[in-house]
Amino acid sequence: MPYNIAMVSDFFFPQSGGIESHIYQLSSKLIDRGHKVIVITHAYKGRTGVRYLTNGLKIYHVPFFVIYRETTFPTVFSFFPIFRNIVIREGIEIVHGHASLSSFCGEAILHARTMGLRTVFTDHSLFGFADAASILTNKLLKFTLSDVDHAICVSHTCKENTVLRASLDPLMVSVIPNAVVAENFCPLSHTTRAPDQPLGSPHDAPMSPRQIGPDDPITIVVISRLFYNKGTDLLIAAIPRILASNPNTRFIIAGSGPKAIDLEQMLERNVLQDKVELLGSVRHEEVRDVMVRGDIYLHPSLTEAFGTVIVEAASCGLYVVCTRVGGIPEVLPQHMTTFAKPEEDDIVLATSKAIAALRSNKVRTDRFHDQVKMMYSWRDVAARTERVYEGITGDISPEEFYGYYPGQGWEASGDRVRSFALIDRLKRYYGCGVWAGKLFCLCVVIDFLIYVFLEMWFPRANIDIARSWPKKQPASNSRDATKSFR
Amino acid sequence: MTSPSSTDPFPPPIPVDTHPRRASGSKSPEFERSLPDPNRLAPEDAYFAPSLSRVRSAPVNYGESLQSLNGDSGAHIGSAAALRKRVGGAGRRRRRKGAWKKLLWVKQSYPDNYTDTETFLDHLQRNPRVRPYDFWPLVADSTVIVQHVCSVVIFVCCFIGIVQDRVSPVSIVCWGSVGTAVGWILWDNWIWKEHADSVQDRNGITGGDDNSSSDSFASAINTPANISQSDDSKSSAIHGLGLSIAGNESKENLACRSANFSESIDAVADLTAQSAVPSALGSSMGSMDASVSPNTHRISMLSPRNRQRLTTVKSAFLIYFSLLGLSPILKSLTKSTASDSIWAMSCWLLIMNIFSFDYGSGEGAGATTKFPASLSTNAAVMASTVLASRLPSTTHVFSLMLFSMEVFGLFPIFRRQLRQKSWTGHILLTLALVIIAGGAVGVTLSGGWAAAIIGSVLGSILTAFVMGGCSWWLISLQKYKNVVIGPWDPARPIIRRHWN
Repeated sequence: MPYNIAMVSDFFFPQSGGIESHIYQLSSKLIDRGHKVIVITHAYKGRTGVRYLTNGLKIYHVPFFVIYRETTFPTVFSFFPIFRNIVIREGIEIVHGHASLSSFCGEAILHARTMGLRTVFTDHSLFGFADAASILTNKLLKFTLSDVDHAICVSHTCKENTVLRASLDPLMVSVIPNAVVAENFCPLSHTTRAPDQPLGSPHDAPMSPRQIGPDDPITIVVISRLFYNKGTDLLIAAIPRILASNPNTRFIIAGSGPKAIDLEQMLERNVLQDKVELLGSVRHEEVRDVMVRGDIYLHPSLTEAFGTVIVEAASCGLYVVCTRVGGIPEVLPQHMTTFAKPEEDDIVLATSKAIAALRSNKVRTDRFHDQVKMMYSWRDVAARTERVYEGITGDISPEEFYGYYPGQGWEASGDRVRSFALIDRLKRYYGCGVWAGKLFCLCVVIDFLIYVFLEMWFPRANIDIARSWPKKQPASNSRDATKSFR
Repeated sequence: MTSPSSTDPFPPPIPVDTHPRRASGSKSPEFERSLPDPNRLAPEDAYFAPSLSRVRSAPVNYGESLQSLNGDSGAHIGSAAALRKRVGGAGRRRRRKGAWKKLLWVKQSYPDNYTDTETFLDHLQRNPRVRPYDFWPLVADSTVIVQHVCSVVIFVCCFIGIVQDRVSPVSIVCWGSVGTAVGWILWDNWIWKEHADSVQDRNGITGGDDNSSSDSFASAINTPANISQSDDSKSSAIHGLGLSIAGNESKENLACRSANFSESIDAVADLTAQSAVPSALGSSMGSMDASVSPNTHRISMLSPRNRQRLTTVKSAFLIYFSLLGLSPILKSLTKSTASDSIWAMSCWLLIMNIFSFDYGSGEGAGATTKFPASLSTNAAVMASTVLASRLPSTTHVFSLMLFSMEVFGLFPIFRRQLRQKSWTGHILLTLALVIIAGGAVGVTLSGGWAAAIIGSVLGSILTAFVMGGCSWWLISLQKYKNVVIGPWDPARPIIRRHWN
């Protein structure tokens, strides 16, 4: 059955980034599957009010005070009146929040639970446990997720992290990876094939793979923001050694950030300007055009929840060299990647190995695009997300959703299906910590009182119901992908 | 969430214990963490078995504890590692339909929220870098702090004695100077003995003679702070002066530096220049570096030693007299400030001195201190400058400043060197300081020899208890240490700075 879903996050277009495009792609594919989806975000400069995007995706830009890097000021309650209004107008059943640093998302999940709606949370990032900022963020996440119906993580490492940070039941956390729009990341030589032709089978590649001779130039592409946690220091240290030990090699580096100066200094000190091309920051649409100029994609990041960019690179037919951190080892199969430890020596070694492998034509990079297309698609992500929605709304039984293991003394316990009774919610929040638990309970009680107040002073009957965007008929095979999981 | 009953032979498929409510079930939280990962140190090691042998023998115990896990008694153990083994049966049964892989690119026949009990939180490490403390080494290390606190207490008591006219400032400064002179002679002997030892395997000796006369002012400000900083600025990064001789490539600088340093030891008065003109410190740093590094020419062994001693004495007297001249200015410098403010300020400055003092042993530990070591010395000197304005005469001011130079500037260097040279001497010095400080407090509070003795005894007992108590406290706090490390933490890049 179709659901009315509200995606809530601080991060959405016109700002561009991984979370933004995730929300957009997921929403539009969910709309394709027959659901109604709206996006609630804060007002960006020059972007306020209600907007429609392609496919009838409706965006509410709520005016809100932005404090830092497009994150709104966490006020806990002040978002409630307008949120309630939007939710009632649109007849929302499921609130789906994105990104743990977004205070909009956390508040929306709290209010939605108060209003008796099902909630889902998607975590896109990894956090440690050591520093003070992480501790604070983790407490807030615990507050957000204490009462959430289901959480989605983008990788298994991310799931482990979220389960630990928010003390969740692991069965209430699903792993649904990001995806790429493979059509936007085609290699140069790619020919569009007929849709009925089987994909990825070895005999259907029309062109012979490009042969790289032992002396042909190899181009290594790096596209990343030049920050410490993206491993720019490793990159700076490794570039001269890679270039010294591998003749006929050049670099293309796109991206900007605080470490750009260090990079330029290194180039000047080693006089490598003719071998390393710095492009500055590129727009997401241009990423493909940069990638197809290279043969190897080097990704020296120090932490990464999923690493969409390496999937994009592989889709462009690049051989990927990346550090074995975070969720990266789960993302691509062995034959597309060379892993390195986050050490300078190992990165140099791995890159040299990758260059040697390419020079000996051992790697069939021409098949990468079709293989990646098979692995990741937003259609698949939407189908798997839909199953989560079905699970939390009770359209598939809890036994099926959470797993039913007869004879093991294990039943789907009542607490996984989160009841809306205030006392049950308070119980869940109370377990969050000695002081934090009481504080969270106070917040929940106040939120409930505000809700009661709003129901009295702004009764539901006075709120107009918005008309839905006229939809085309949902695709007939929309449930097939879901069936395959059962 | 219902907590799974712990006696159940077939636990639920996902019993990884990360859920607080589940943890608060039948298991007692104390025992829940008793078997995290046998290959890693856990904080429990700190108080259950201090030796590392437990780690080595852990796999044997591990099997036994696993057996007990399957029985009824092991119900306490709820760590992920243990439970993973425990539910191995469930995992094996699942393998029939194709083993679950921790990969995202494979389409697997498992639901998205499937949690594999064998690999879930597999890479989780708890307290991987915890080094359990032992009691006695901890107590022994705390003597360094005790020494410094005692010397601060002695200084404060001396000041109170001077202000209340119980003690003559001249006698204090005389005793202090005698002590400093004795300390310097000892220190000088150690340095040159080591120097002589190290001179065999070295061709050229660097003498600082060409610069040393012009260095007199620079050397006057050779507080341990400056020296350690200039050391840090070198690649050898050795902390504290005496240690730089301990045998590496900086030997070349040794002669020069020790010369400078012996000057500064002798020229006690030199340091007053620092208090009067704090800004001189920064500028002198540069000249100090210049004097240390570039002089490389061959010179005979004994001659520079004596010559530098002579220069030291010369500059000592120079600075001594300039301090004498500055005393009236220092006396009236903060005279207009109310006494309340002076007491409060000096208290804070001395506390700052104690907290930012570099207690490191000098063996490469310098890089770990957060504050520059000069902060501590400067705070102490400023405290004494501020206090000096409450004194009645120029002689008093001069004596107090000189004494503070000795206590805060030179004494720490001597203590650090003594600790390196002889542990017995270090302990004896600690004992002496504790007794003197206790006695000084006793005299200050009520006066008379009896009070001094009572104070000494009480102070010693109290110090012993505090040292033991704090060490024990720190060890007992170790069990609350819970560092969780996993693949989600940002990796630490390992970079060789070869292109610098």
